[in-house]
Amino acid sequence: MENQTTISEFDSILSSRGVTRRSFMKLCAGVAAAAGLSQLAVPRVAEALEKSVIGATKGDLYPVIWIEGASCTGCTESFAQIETPDAATVVLDMISLNYSETLSAAAGHSMEEAKKQTIEAGNYILVYEGGVLEGFDYNALRVAGETGNVALEEAAANANAVVAIGSCAVNGGWMAAHPNPAGAMGVQQYLEKVGINTTVVNIPGCPVNPEWLMSVLVDVVLLEDPSLIKLNGYNMPAGLFDQTIHDNCERRGHFENGEFVYEFGSEEEAKGYCLYPLGCRGPQTKSVCGVTMWNNRRSWCVQAGAPCVGCCEANPNNPGQNWVEVNTPFYKRHRDLRVGGLVLQPGTVALAVTGLVAAALVVHGFGMKKFGRMDGGADFEKVRKWDAAHPEQSIGTYADGAEGGPILNDDALYEKNTHHARPVRGVAAKPADDAADAEEN
Amino acid sequence: MAHLAHYREAHPLIFVITHWINLVAMIFLIVTGFCIHFPFWPMFMGIARGLHVFFGFVLFLNCVFRVVAAFFVKTSPTGGTRQQVKDYKTWLPQKDNRHQALEWIKYYLFLKKDHPLGAKLGVPQKISYLLIPVLIVLMFWTGLCLWVPTMNVGVFWATTNLLGGLMSVRIIHYFLMYVFIVFMFIHVYLANVEGFAPTALMFIHKEHGGLVYDPDTHNIVGEDEEVRH
Repeated sequence: MENQTTISEFDSILSSRGVTRRSFMKLCAGVAAAAGLSQLAVPRVAEALEKSVIGATKGDLYPVIWIEGASCTGCTESFAQIETPDAATVVLDMISLNYSETLSAAAGHSMEEAKKQTIEAGNYILVYEGGVLEGFDYNALRVAGETGNVALEEAAANANAVVAIGSCAVNGGWMAAHPNPAGAMGVQQYLEKVGINTTVVNIPGCPVNPEWLMSVLVDVVLLEDPSLIKLNGYNMPAGLFDQTIHDNCERRGHFENGEFVYEFGSEEEAKGYCLYPLGCRGPQTKSVCGVTMWNNRRSWCVQAGAPCVGCCEANPNNPGQNWVEVNTPFYKRHRDLRVGGLVLQPGTVALAVTGLVAAALVVHGFGMKKFGRMDGGADFEKVRKWDAAHPEQSIGTYADGAEGGPILNDDALYEKNTHHARPVRGVAAKPADDAADAEEN
Repeated sequence: MAHLAHYREAHPLIFVITHWINLVAMIFLIVTGFCIHFPFWPMFMGIARGLHVFFGFVLFLNCVFRVVAAFFVKTSPTGGTRQQVKDYKTWLPQKDNRHQALEWIKYYLFLKKDHPLGAKLGVPQKISYLLIPVLIVLMFWTGLCLWVPTMNVGVFWATTNLLGGLMSVRIIHYFLMYVFIVFMFIHVYLANVEGFAPTALMFIHKEHGGLVYDPDTHNIVGEDEEVRH
């Protein structure tokens, strides 16, 4: 039958998992869009997936090593919650997860051996979850007699790419928050520091969205052409992290209308108004949460009624710019500032300083009144202090070089500066002169 | 009572206009800025954002115009004279300012009884006014770092990165607004505490008589009573 001869092995894998060809092509379109490619690239994406991803022809799955750094395993949890079967699972089932402390059934020596063999064979990707801890001589992440940094260096050096998942892996995340006792930092920064230049792709989030990870796994490694992937200045996929959450927020209409929630439990909250006054970090956090959504596109934080806490804020080169440090307290519009042991809100500081200045001016005003300067100021000095002390270098020309005083008797100087003749003392100026002067001016 | 005469030559009409634009733009920017920071008047939010961006550009362009005009328009180098020089010279250190910085500060702190002789702008005044264009540019720049249509443009993205992220930029933008507010407090106070003549000249171009100062001999040469008080 015609069908039997044309249906590919790949399609049969898809259908065995309850995925139609149509939904697979939709996935490819989604992947292309996320990678910043035009729709013309969709067939190319599909082809790449069929040929190299799936390994259907060769039977070799793309090897992946998944190492837990300083993490809460939340990213793994998030990843494991994908419901089956769906397109994401199909793709992810087609990688070979050779090593994962959390997900692998095996443990102990055989697991470490599997990791070692995978690293030696090369052509794999490393997924690193959690921060890198420099504190305690790297002993905080000691596994199988090896400190955490050594495990990362070994696995990263030989990998095709390192995918740093979750904000902790990007820049230390909440572990890097003040006072950062463990010396947490991101994978990219650590690898740069030790001179390993394997490409790092950062996917922040707390936890990471599994669909972003899926998209990046396909984009970065399986397309076999890393140059196709459009990364931004933070080595994050530009299609996922170049727009703010606010840009794509489903409550944006309420923001534009000026409909806000000021208090939890209020009528406004029930109406689903904008959460901006409750400290929502949507306007300053770059991510496509509102588009991808979570839990198989079922909902996401803001839809569930929680202001965004900005968990995708992560500068890979600066652990101090971690999302917790930058965004707490979450329900205030500003972060806290630390001055020594003091924790202050910027608004308080600004108001205090401005208040002090205003109070000082009021006090100064009373002084001005007391010194009788309110009406035109004090009398001018007769001679500049410096001029009196240095008569040979005097700036001014005075009626008296030592005593000072105005030069009052030079009519030419007067006229030069006022554009009218000096009136005769004691004689009032004529109104006509005034009018002429006004016109001239 | 001993002020210098306030002549229009000190503030030609074009600078009266740029000063008005500054005032209106800054007030709109501050009020709308507060609304954007926290929606005190919820329904004003949409309008506030539009106005904020609009007046941000107005303030910046007005500032650029003002700085360029300083090289073409002539103004009086000191109070009490109708003589004029290119305006930019009144922003640089002048002979009239020499050795007078400390005297001005002492006068303000009531440590000096007599009013210092000085140029149109005394030393502390000159320095603080010169910081205003810098402040406007910083404000404009951080504003563009926060404005979505420009936030991913290379230079603004790099600035945001340098400053520690959008939250830091937001706080810096917020603090700089308070610098404007503090400046306005001090500026309004000092301009009016010794009488409203300077304000009348700057806002409605109304002259006021007073002592006549000759910028060439650097001294007072009489009193002009022709201009109505």
